[in-house]
Amino acid sequence: MTLWFVFALMTVAAIFAVLWPLRRAGRPQSEGSEAAVYRDQLGEIDRDVASGLIGSTEAEAARVEISRRLLAARDSQDDAPVASSVRLRRSAAMLALIGLPIIAVATYLPLGSPRLGDFPLAQRARAPDAAQPFENMVAQVEAHLEKNPTDGRGWNVLAPVLARLGRFDEAVRAYRNSITYNGDSSERRSDLGEALAAAAGGVVTAEAKTEFERAVAMNADEVKASYFLGLAAEQDGRGSEAASIWRAMLAKAPPDAPWRPLVQAALARVGGAPVPLPGAPVLSNEAMAAAKDMKEADRSEMIRGMVERLATRLKQNGDDVEGWLRLVRAYMVMGDRDKARSALGDARQAVANDEARLRELNEGLKNLGLDG
Amino acid sequence: MIAESGHYALVLALALALIQSTVPILGVRWRDPALMNVSRSTALAQFMFVAVSFVALVMLYVTSDFSVVNVYENSHSSKPLLYKITGVWGNHEGSMLLWVSILALFGGLVAAFGNNLPLSLRAYVLAVQGWIASAFYLFILITSNPFLRIASPPIEGRDLNPVLQDIGLAVHPPMLYLGYVGFSISFSFAVAALLEGRIDAAWARWVRPWTLVAWIFLTLGIAMGSYWAYYELGWGGWWFWDPVENASLMPWLAGTALLHSAVVMEKRNALKVWTILLSILTFSLSLLGAFLVRSGVLTSVHAFATDPTRGVFILLILCIFIGGSLSLYAFRASALKQGGLFAPISREGALVLNNLFLTAACATVLIGTLYPLALEVLTGDKISVGAPFFNLTFGPLFLPLMIAVPFGPLLAWKRGDLLGAAQRLTAAGIAALLAVAMLWAWTRGGNAFAPLAIGLAVFVIGGALTDLAERTGLFRVPFTTAARRARGLPRATWGSAFAHAGVGVALIGIVCETTWNSEYIGSMRPDDVAKIAGYELKLEDVTQRKGPNFSEMLAQFTVSRDGQRLSEMTPSKRNFAARASSTTEAALLTNGASQLYISLGETAADGAIAVRIYYKPMVLLIWWGPILMAFGGVLSLSDRRLRVGAPKPAKAARGLQAAE
Amino acid sequence: MTRKQRRLTMIGGSLAVLAVAAALVLNAMRDSIVFFSTPTMLAEKPVAAGKRFRLGGLVQPGSLVRGDNLAVTFQVADGSAALPVSFKGILPDLFREGQGVVAEGALDATGVFKADTVLAKHDETYMPKEVADALKKQGHWKDDYGAKKPDYSAKPAAAAQGAPQANQGVSQ
Repeated sequence: MTLWFVFALMTVAAIFAVLWPLRRAGRPQSEGSEAAVYRDQLGEIDRDVASGLIGSTEAEAARVEISRRLLAARDSQDDAPVASSVRLRRSAAMLALIGLPIIAVATYLPLGSPRLGDFPLAQRARAPDAAQPFENMVAQVEAHLEKNPTDGRGWNVLAPVLARLGRFDEAVRAYRNSITYNGDSSERRSDLGEALAAAAGGVVTAEAKTEFERAVAMNADEVKASYFLGLAAEQDGRGSEAASIWRAMLAKAPPDAPWRPLVQAALARVGGAPVPLPGAPVLSNEAMAAAKDMKEADRSEMIRGMVERLATRLKQNGDDVEGWLRLVRAYMVMGDRDKARSALGDARQAVANDEARLRELNEGLKNLGLDG
Repeated sequence: MIAESGHYALVLALALALIQSTVPILGVRWRDPALMNVSRSTALAQFMFVAVSFVALVMLYVTSDFSVVNVYENSHSSKPLLYKITGVWGNHEGSMLLWVSILALFGGLVAAFGNNLPLSLRAYVLAVQGWIASAFYLFILITSNPFLRIASPPIEGRDLNPVLQDIGLAVHPPMLYLGYVGFSISFSFAVAALLEGRIDAAWARWVRPWTLVAWIFLTLGIAMGSYWAYYELGWGGWWFWDPVENASLMPWLAGTALLHSAVVMEKRNALKVWTILLSILTFSLSLLGAFLVRSGVLTSVHAFATDPTRGVFILLILCIFIGGSLSLYAFRASALKQGGLFAPISREGALVLNNLFLTAACATVLIGTLYPLALEVLTGDKISVGAPFFNLTFGPLFLPLMIAVPFGPLLAWKRGDLLGAAQRLTAAGIAALLAVAMLWAWTRGGNAFAPLAIGLAVFVIGGALTDLAERTGLFRVPFTTAARRARGLPRATWGSAFAHAGVGVALIGIVCETTWNSEYIGSMRPDDVAKIAGYELKLEDVTQRKGPNFSEMLAQFTVSRDGQRLSEMTPSKRNFAARASSTTEAALLTNGASQLYISLGETAADGAIAVRIYYKPMVLLIWWGPILMAFGGVLSLSDRRLRVGAPKPAKAARGLQAAE
Repeated sequence: MTRKQRRLTMIGGSLAVLAVAAALVLNAMRDSIVFFSTPTMLAEKPVAAGKRFRLGGLVQPGSLVRGDNLAVTFQVADGSAALPVSFKGILPDLFREGQGVVAEGALDATGVFKADTVLAKHDETYMPKEVADALKKQGHWKDDYGAKKPDYSAKPAAAAQGAPQANQGVSQ
């Protein structure tokens, strides 16, 4: 309510500024005129002559000229005292009283956000905003690390969070720091590689591949690194090599490994035969299963969110063939064939006018195992 | 509350500007003094509301309220307070708000101190100001609103571009804006004169202080911007002929011409139509500068992040104001009464010459700036017009102007005596020749152009001194009389002498810096020594340090000359985490007007740093010159006296009568 | 001198100055103007060795080689074509692999672009306009460069890519 009160006060002040001069009808006393300037100039000549700055002949010539201007100015001046008409003043006042608030409100309402209070940082730091606990925390950790850059544990905590937030470049830096201050490990190396690949838009770059190779060198069973090495091979067009890497992973994997379906899907993608599950799933502890389900749900929620964003982006800009292929593939991995099919339709439509892109799309789809 | 109040105050300012731009004009049409007076109170109130709005934005930056988009995008909580405040105008939206605040400030000043103006003229002037203000309020509210909000505010801002986190930035744009926007007053006076269909010497008297204020600030703003580029960009360059720099130079050239032609008008009632045109052109060029910087048609360090709608909107404003005022000029100029007569060889003639060269120089800059744009639109070819173009066009046009500068003040009004002026300039000419001869001998051959240019500069400075000596009768009358006369001399005369001398001083700096600049570029390791211009610079150590929102690599140099330790210099390189970018902080060592300049490049894998060292002789004169000019302007501004140009009557004229 | 003669003198003088200015401008236009090109444009429309021009494009990742005494070489590419560039001196603060760059200089006889100036004065919202235009034309434009609309969420734009989705599963 106070905000509207302030607005009202300001409006009244503005209206008052317009009304103020309308209260008087006459001409103000303090008004300049050209004649006054010329009279002052004549006075100036006398002073200049007195101080010896100009000669008397020049002064005389100047006087003649200025007097001429003075006469001309007198002629053109309208000395008739004009009084203001009451009618005009009334209409001007009406304009101020009605027009001004209307203009102000009509302009402000569509632009302003009157319901939003202030959020100065000091106040928010004291009482953390419930809507932002997570980012708050990230900012705090970042601030802490800015001051204590050698705190390895801090980097360890921060790095995956940054990766989750999509700040991959910063995540890369954080993982590097984590390796520097916590020591090398296969997990950290493969996390770093993952962040590098994510920063490159999902492409396993040479830099990322090096990290994965280091990770595998340290621990041949490092799952993530192996998976990504397979992906790198696939992206390089060496499908069979990718298939053999993944097949080896599946062969070594415990039957209940959560990543099994993913690798299998990847394997299917490059045309490898699926590896049968050795034995039935042995899920004993119910509580553990529940916990895992939770995690699984969480995870798929996140994946879904990312896919959703990709889809929105492609809706806005459909030229990105790579993106379409990724979307279709993602839907297939998630087991959502209907959506994959509709995305396929959208993709064809989006690039229908572009011969080259259409060809690229069809080829890509063939590689995915869908006919073009 | 602060954000929304600021926003609403801006909207109210728009409403007041709309009233200010209509009611007073109707008042003049219907000869109603009360309506004419509305201009005054609305102009003052409008300024008050914009000021509220601007202060609100500053407070939002200070309290780091990231619920405001503009604050979120351009500030960071760890930034020092000073840069939180200067960050307000380090971005497009905030700088536009500063722009209109200054516009309203000038309008308010005319309203407050315009008591000596005729009522109708004041009403017209303020109404035209109201038009300009309304257009820009609409522009800000619609396309560049600094008060837009985010419903769920982020916890941290994105920080100001680190290059802009510098004290030079704190003062240089407001100065420039004071200059650009100040010329809006002379524009409004010109349009008012055209609307009234009446103009004479008194008009020039009324416009004089406003033009001078704008010119002083523009001069200082350009000089400061140039110095900022010199030490912050780390290349040691002070003028790049960058389109945005040109955009500030063009109004300065036109404004300088305006200043001179307005003198003729005030004193001699001549050149009236031309002065009106210059007023319009000067402000038009200021607007053009705003368009070029903000529309994204140009590439520049200074360019703001751009948005096509803004460009179109500003282009629209540009077309309406420039097109409108020029057509008004075309329709009404012939109705204005012609002014007084004068011979080609006279003070007036000299000032016309000055105007010709300044406007021609301004036109070449305009062509150099706009030609690449036009070519790209027409043929699709992309070209860049750089320093060589401007050196080949601007330089030759300035040369005759500089030769003419000392003659102008020595010629009499109406009809002058060129030979007499030349005789009185003998001393200055001899000084100039001596300077040329000495430099020639000292540099032994070398660049023949540099000594000549410095000789010219000495001639200009000598000419300014001669003018003062002539007027006070120094060396001709007893010293006490001369001193008494010097005190009685109008301050405007002192002012023009200072300003002309300033041009000469700046020219010396420019020539020395460009001709005898020495440079060392190489990679250095600790304990390496670089030798340049007789100085020895030893890299002692490289250390790391933490600043408030950056980390910094400092290199420590000891400077010695002939084995004697002189001083230390510590250039640095700063890394800003929030933007993942870095800046180079050059180290400067001043010796008289000369400077040693060190800036750091990247560090190689083996620990060696790339280093750039310059020795720049007399480089500071480049900026002392404009400061002298601005000081001359201030002196002239403080001169409250009326100006009279006493003509030389025909019968008293001697000597070169034939010149007429 | 009559009023008319005086006026003619004035007009004559003005025209003379304007003519001089025009001559200067035309002369300078002929000699001191530099064209802009990209590697792709060069492939279509070659520029003679020794003629100065500005070269724009992206610095090819992995191509930057630092030699002795501040000499550097790198490749400037704009999608389909790349051109080797050599430069001696200090690269600007914002010079990075994969970022836009504008270099001024000329081709030598072997087809290497000898640059004497390298400009890379851009931050995340700024890139040399010529480069941006040229890349836009070839469809190599990433939206992030334009920074038209800031996204207030925590920048998920890059997250919506293929591999990250897959690897989330692996990492658990």
